[in-house]
Amino acid sequence: MRTNLLKGARAPKDNESRFLLDVARRDLPGEDTMRRYRTDDEVDLVVVGAGAGGSVLAQRLARRGWRVVILEAGPFWHPDDDWVSDEAGSHDLYWTQKRVIGGDDPIELGKNNSGRGVGGSMIHYAGYTPRFHPSDFETLRRDGVGADWPITYADLRDHYVQVERELPVAGQNWPWGDPHSYPFSPHAVSGAASITWKGALACGIEMRVGPVGIVNGTFGNRPHCIYRGYCLQGCKVNAKASPYVTHLPDALAHGVEVRAGSMAVRVEIDDATGLARGVTYIDEEHGKERYQRARVVAVCAYSIESPRLLLNSISQRFPHGLCNTEDQVGRYVMVQGATQTAGRYPDEVRMYKAPLPEVSSEVFYETDESRGFARGFSIQTIAPLPIGWAEHVLAAGHWGRAMREYMRDYNHWSTVGVLNELLAQPDNRVTLADECDQYGTPVARFDYTLCDNDKANMAFSANVIHGIVIASGAQDVLTIRRFAHLIGGCRMGTSPEDSVVSADHQSWAVANLFVADGSVCPTQGSANPALTIMALASRLAQRLGSRKVDPSGGSASRLAPVSGSNRR
Amino acid sequence: MARDLSKPDHLPNLRPGREPPHSSWLPLQRRGTTPQMIGRYPDYDVFDAAGSWDDATAKVVNARLHMPADLHFFSAGEVATLRAFCDVCVAQDGEPRVPVVEMIDEKLAAGRLDGYQYADMPDDRDTWHVVLAGLDEVAEGRYGKATFAACDPDTQEAIVALLAKAQLSGGSWDSLNVKRAWSVCMRMILAAFYSHPWAWNEIGFGGPAYPQGYMRLGPMAVREPHEKPEATKEDPVSVISQDGT
Ligand SMILES: Cc1cc2nc3c(=O)[nH]c(=O)nc-3n(C[C@H](O)[C@H](O)[C@H](O)COP(=O)(O)OP(=O)(O)OC[C@H]3O[C@@H](n4cnc5c(N)ncnc54)[C@H](O)[C@@H]3O)c2cc1C
Ligand code: SF4
Repeated sequence: MRTNLLKGARAPKDNESRFLLDVARRDLPGEDTMRRYRTDDEVDLVVVGAGAGGSVLAQRLARRGWRVVILEAGPFWHPDDDWVSDEAGSHDLYWTQKRVIGGDDPIELGKNNSGRGVGGSMIHYAGYTPRFHPSDFETLRRDGVGADWPITYADLRDHYVQVERELPVAGQNWPWGDPHSYPFSPHAVSGAASITWKGALACGIEMRVGPVGIVNGTFGNRPHCIYRGYCLQGCKVNAKASPYVTHLPDALAHGVEVRAGSMAVRVEIDDATGLARGVTYIDEEHGKERYQRARVVAVCAYSIESPRLLLNSISQRFPHGLCNTEDQVGRYVMVQGATQTAGRYPDEVRMYKAPLPEVSSEVFYETDESRGFARGFSIQTIAPLPIGWAEHVLAAGHWGRAMREYMRDYNHWSTVGVLNELLAQPDNRVTLADECDQYGTPVARFDYTLCDNDKANMAFSANVIHGIVIASGAQDVLTIRRFAHLIGGCRMGTSPEDSVVSADHQSWAVANLFVADGSVCPTQGSANPALTIMALASRLAQRLGSRKVDPSGGSASRLAPVSGSNRR
Repeated sequence: MARDLSKPDHLPNLRPGREPPHSSWLPLQRRGTTPQMIGRYPDYDVFDAAGSWDDATAKVVNARLHMPADLHFFSAGEVATLRAFCDVCVAQDGEPRVPVVEMIDEKLAAGRLDGYQYADMPDDRDTWHVVLAGLDEVAEGRYGKATFAACDPDTQEAIVALLAKAQLSGGSWDSLNVKRAWSVCMRMILAAFYSHPWAWNEIGFGGPAYPQGYMRLGPMAVREPHEKPEATKEDPVSVISQDGT
């Protein structure tokens, strides 16, 4: 009761982003007056990548007086002009530089899972923001698969609460994992999602509305969602959470410089001390290599580009790539199975309305031995727009006249998907390809192969959603196999032999080099990863800021207090 | 003869040979333009709401109506086969056509690719050249025609069916993974075709929705004022009176 009265009223502490945003314009406020640092000025922290992890880390530490530069490869968005209510027109939001994919089950990248630009992949993520379950942090101990994290759910709990208030997350009270409530009320349920929900109930499967990082009501100067369904194309409304609206406004107000169009190509190591001394990057506008000095470096470029950057950072001490002496960089990259089933219904449904994420279930999240495989999956409604729907119809084997027929029937369909937990495997890995990008830096190659547990999980879950769609009264069904979400590649662990960074995201090899993005996660559960990535960065910032982690490598001079506060 | 749209009997999966019915069951388009002037929403035009689109979106969408006619990426020798191939893939057998070829050419010329390349595949740009060459080889080798474009429509469809099932080999086809080549081409063709507002008219998609947004999410009301009900080939008079016009 009390929690319900407080819906929409519990404000986050220490983050003014929602008030800094402009009601009438979508540009990131403060870009014109943004603090600029000289490249030869040794800043306290240089962050590579202005995405989920990097933005939260920068915002938090800037509030503690750190002088921070974020190098971001992609553009500094001006959403009023750059973003459109259009699928094909949103191509520039994605990481479309070349990457090579291999293995028995190659994973398609680009628009499916990687963004490029200030705000990172969350600019065009769907918006589901579930927490990981406590079990996700100890799958090896509990279920004999995957890996145990060097931290537990309890270490992240307070940060989950804080980030949920910052996004803010809307949803029903959550009964699964560690039961919790959300700061905002659940959104209205669209006709399309209610069909799936009805089918699930008929199968005895409980579903709940949310959790989504989408404003329901108003939140500072951020308006209510207008139910336009273009969440994957960048929310022009500012209703959907991304670092661009949730953390970067506050970061800029506290002196962070976001240097866009700056592709990091090498973390530089001082061969004498073994510490990182800065980052070399390509200034895209001028086509020039530049070098930013820094006291601490945080790599936050996500699961493909973070390993690539480390592997490309060759030095005398690290001839096989930075932090790669034990051959761990790029290993244990994971995706989630994301099989999608669409059903056809007698009446018009028009699934393109409302946010694409609506209703979900974690009933099947935990291991149930009777199913014959370890770990589980979640169920989430989704709603492809026309091009997405055409790709679905194609994957189901139709083209030409049959394709046109199914497409004309678009308004009669509703779609549900799963997220399978797929297990961490050492050979599912990012390496360097033979090919180079336009700056001569080798591009990433990502090999991926499913294991038997993965296949069993995917087959079981496909049956479950097929059952839901049939029970909801579908007259025709189209099911396709696909994958979503990246995680891992620089995982945290307890020793350099099985991981790249420690529980404090500190690389084993270089004391002042940290990784703070999705690549540090040793497992992914069946939850979408963005909230967890932000919570992890929030925890790291707290530990760095309160000196629980020592980035000095033991040298006293480097322990000197961070440069004075530069709040404005 | 009007078909009951609450029934799914027009859907390929539920029909013999997974073949859709001939398009003659569809009503003639009365209002917005659709590809080949067929569709399920004869009185719908997504441009009726265009006044409410934001400028950036309107610019991107309108540009698709005015694609430059000259091609830069494909060579003159490839164009006929390219056109025939794209027509078959999305069944564009007459005017008005969505300018799929021009849209793909512009994208490839600008190097706007998808951001990944299968290890057993060439660059997407090379894939297109190989596929077009391979289609001509099949036309010649199996059907005795000089090019794919010179084959009759049924033959063209039969060849594309082989490509879709990855049942082509020899010559150009041995230089790539045929199954993936099909997906590379189709991804691009579909992204072009279904980004075009004429295709939105055909399928009744509401189109861009900013700053206005959608208000009728269902389950009770599903149509905004500018969205129109679907129809089959019935008497237009009854539809018009139903509409209150
Ligand atoms: C289509 C789609 C749907 C998704 N849906 C959901 C969802 O519903 N819920 C959810 O939780 N998650 C979702 N995700 C995933 C989520 O967006 C990511 O997991 C998350 O944003 C990753 O955070 P990150 O900080 O690790 O990296 P990112 O947010 O990707 O940030 C990395 C940044 O680093 C930059 N960068 C990379 N290399 C360099 C370099 N060398 N130099 C400089 N900058 C560099 C990139 O341009 C990027 O901006 C979705 C993703 C996509 C693409
Ligand atoms: S549906 Fe809501 S959250 Fe999604 S893009 Fe539209 S306004 Fe933003």
